[in-house]
Amino acid sequence: MKPGALAYFKPTTVTEAIGLLVDGGMDAKVIAGGQSLVPMLNLRMVAAERLVDVGGIAEMKQWSADDREVWIGACVTHDQIQIGEVADPSNGLMPKVASKIAYQAVRNRGTIGGSLSLADPAADWLTTTAALGATIEWEGPDGKKSCPADEFVFAAYTTQLDISDVLTGVRIPRLPPDATWGTYKLCRKAGEFAHAMAMVISAGARSRAFLGATDGAPIRLMHTETLVADFRNWESGHTALVSQALEADIADSGREFTDIQLWQSRTCLLRSIQMSLGFQPIKPEGV
Amino acid sequence: MTDARTIRFTLNGAPVSVSVMPHETLIEMLSLRLELKGARESCGQGLCGCCTVYVNGKSVSSCLYLAQLVDGANVVTIEGINDGARLDPVQEAFIEVGAFQCGFCTPGFIMMARELLDVHPNPTDDEIRHYLIGNLCRCSAYPEIVEAVKLAARRRAAGTAPALAQELSA
Repeated sequence: MKPGALAYFKPTTVTEAIGLLVDGGMDAKVIAGGQSLVPMLNLRMVAAERLVDVGGIAEMKQWSADDREVWIGACVTHDQIQIGEVADPSNGLMPKVASKIAYQAVRNRGTIGGSLSLADPAADWLTTTAALGATIEWEGPDGKKSCPADEFVFAAYTTQLDISDVLTGVRIPRLPPDATWGTYKLCRKAGEFAHAMAMVISAGARSRAFLGATDGAPIRLMHTETLVADFRNWESGHTALVSQALEADIADSGREFTDIQLWQSRTCLLRSIQMSLGFQPIKPEGV
Repeated sequence: MTDARTIRFTLNGAPVSVSVMPHETLIEMLSLRLELKGARESCGQGLCGCCTVYVNGKSVSSCLYLAQLVDGANVVTIEGINDGARLDPVQEAFIEVGAFQCGFCTPGFIMMARELLDVHPNPTDDEIRHYLIGNLCRCSAYPEIVEAVKLAARRRAAGTAPALAQELSA
């Protein structure tokens, strides 16, 4: 398998990259780590006549941190987050998520910005940045723009990015030191895109809960958040309460869930909540 | 810009220059233009690990890596990990434990296992399995592969020459 003929450009500034994208129009694609784009080019699922490689733009590989937030450039790899090379605003959640993305060879190349730009519904960073209340930043012919991560995705593979926009970075507020989290994703084969995913973050009397790997954008679970904020420990009676809250949340979202998807999502959510309360996640055999 | 371009990089310690097309992947260039057949294209989607090589010291799936991107980089393949006289300890361990049947996936496993031992010099079974989940062995030699990695870890820790290498050099 091999990609079709294409032109390759490696700009060194964001402005130059946007110019190359504008010139290329619909036939131009941004490439960063290429861990989703190259397979799609290999399979000829995507036709691109022009690749604009943002890997040569120094500022997009950087990160910065202060006591309120961490800014991560779009070309920072999953591996850099996994091994703690980048400051962690999330009390360990982001390194944990990064370590479970695909495989090590993919983590060595794949980038947080590339993953968000593609917006595969099962991409871990979509749900993680939404749960952390991050801000996604991009630049295009009309200048710089940004939005909260939970408003970035409209539908599967469809984001606020216009065809000539470049996602430049993610701004993530630091969690309070006492914040706890839990996350669980369900994969039939280790390393594949998840069939269901949930993430819960609790800090003091507030919680945030999201479902990922849906048919579109991550779903915020407001009923579940209210419920979980009162949990101080896990009790068996909580299972029924969480199930009710989840069903109310899914009804509110207006999204279609098959019985199987509902069961899978509920399993992920229950395990995430338990984990956020200090329980070790149930470990699948051999992983 | 759709024409071939000459790139220069270091391949297994030696400088090379190659004329490549923009759409060419690293695995194509290595196997077709440079006649290095150790890394193999199998799935072409980054799912099997058979094409694993190192670029600037990190493992990558060379089927998902455009050849042009290695311009100026340092590339190491399975052909470049021995020192000329002796196989790498991980290669020795795979041979001694018999961690393969057909051998198609073996170069990818060995490259990944070496990186694993750099990160986790004394890995647990879980760490080995987690690090190697991107490598598929259709003969299912997984138990032996885990054993081979552990043997290689002990050899590296002890700094001892592998027995087979001693035999070969005797």
